[in-house]
Amino acid sequence: MADILIDMFQGGLASLADYMAAHVLTCLVPAFFIAGAIAVFISRQAVLKYFGSDVKKYISYAVASVSGTILAVCSCTILPLFAGIYKRGAGIGPATAFLYSGPAINVLAIVYTGQALGYDLGLARAVAAISMASVVGLIMSSLFDAPLNATSKGKKPGKEGRASSSADAGSGKDDSAPGISIDEPLRPALVVPLFFIFMVLILVIGASTIDWLIRLPVVLVLIAGVIVLLIKHFDRDEVTEWGYETWDLTKKIFPVLLIGAFIVGVIAVVLPPETFRPYLGDNSIIACFLGSVIGTLLYIPTLLEVPIIGSTFGYTSGMMAGGPALSLLLAGPAVSLPSLVVLQRIMGTKKTTAFALVVVLTSTIAGFVYGNLFT
Amino acid sequence: MMKIEVLGSGCSKCKRLEKNVKVALKQTGMDAEVVKVEDINEIVNRGVMLTPALIVDGAVISTGKALAVDQIIKLLNK
Repeated sequence: MADILIDMFQGGLASLADYMAAHVLTCLVPAFFIAGAIAVFISRQAVLKYFGSDVKKYISYAVASVSGTILAVCSCTILPLFAGIYKRGAGIGPATAFLYSGPAINVLAIVYTGQALGYDLGLARAVAAISMASVVGLIMSSLFDAPLNATSKGKKPGKEGRASSSADAGSGKDDSAPGISIDEPLRPALVVPLFFIFMVLILVIGASTIDWLIRLPVVLVLIAGVIVLLIKHFDRDEVTEWGYETWDLTKKIFPVLLIGAFIVGVIAVVLPPETFRPYLGDNSIIACFLGSVIGTLLYIPTLLEVPIIGSTFGYTSGMMAGGPALSLLLAGPAVSLPSLVVLQRIMGTKKTTAFALVVVLTSTIAGFVYGNLFT
Repeated sequence: MMKIEVLGSGCSKCKRLEKNVKVALKQTGMDAEVVKVEDINEIVNRGVMLTPALIVDGAVISTGKALAVDQIIKLLNK
């Protein structure tokens, strides 16, 4: 009995060492700072105007699919934004597209997936989340928007539809920019992009395998560059806010990730990934489907999907194939039982059920395509 | 009496805003009722998409930011 406990403890420690290794942390630390900076220095209002009901649909879909990078750094902001886009803005299509891709394409998720599971899967996750988001949105829109359009067109072609849409446009505009009374400070237009370029370079170069004799000085110069920008062009409050934001994210995500990685290691001792091999070990459509369903039902805290796929299901040890791994990565953060309950309150049972099914379907297909064509 | 509403689904930023509002009220000696709105449908009905948001006497005055204490004081004095 004692032996098993010791094994479990050692398994937990080994898993911690895997997922918190130095090369992972050198990446994760700058990623947290970038995520914090995105939340503070990028005007989200500017992005929101593309979700108004008067904006051309294809623009809304495109923006919805990629804007998770900027808007959804914190998972608790996703649902209010979703509800806002759904009820007061561009409608169910762009709203569900945003909900699908948002959690998967923030800078933390991509960096961590890439570092811990390999950049092929990290890239596949980002590309698939963005491209399938529009598919999810379009399917939802065709399921639930079409009857409305048909009736308004049927009554009076053109005119009435246009009138109602321009009325929507007015309200959409009001809602997307609720009175902002704090003026954004003016600074040269290039400062913020330059700031982010420096930050991303720190991340990329810091994580690269270049000899540290070259790497360290380059990173130090870049950090100096960031500091100069901060001193010259940002005021004290903004820098403080950046610090707060970064710390908030770290505090929220990191302890859960630490404990989670440990538990994942413990579970792997009791329930070795070989258990799942017969079900998730190949790139068959059934394996991908299972991956999607597991991802849809399971509540997975931010970033913990990575150790779960790597160790519990054994992607790292080759027990889980790339296809089902991607399916799970896509469906996992997009929906879970608890989030479905909230969604049900926002858009009702029928649409929520349809959304869950569409997520399972698209994630299965994406995993199947990736597993069979790219691995 | 002024009515101040803090809208947010319970994330750490929302809690910080609520705390800062209370500190700001204490510092200025203003008298106001502080209400926390957590229901997501209620938040959307106020036209707020980015939480946390600050509403004073029914008017949305800030969204998406956990304002610092002195920023809140400045806004309340307007």
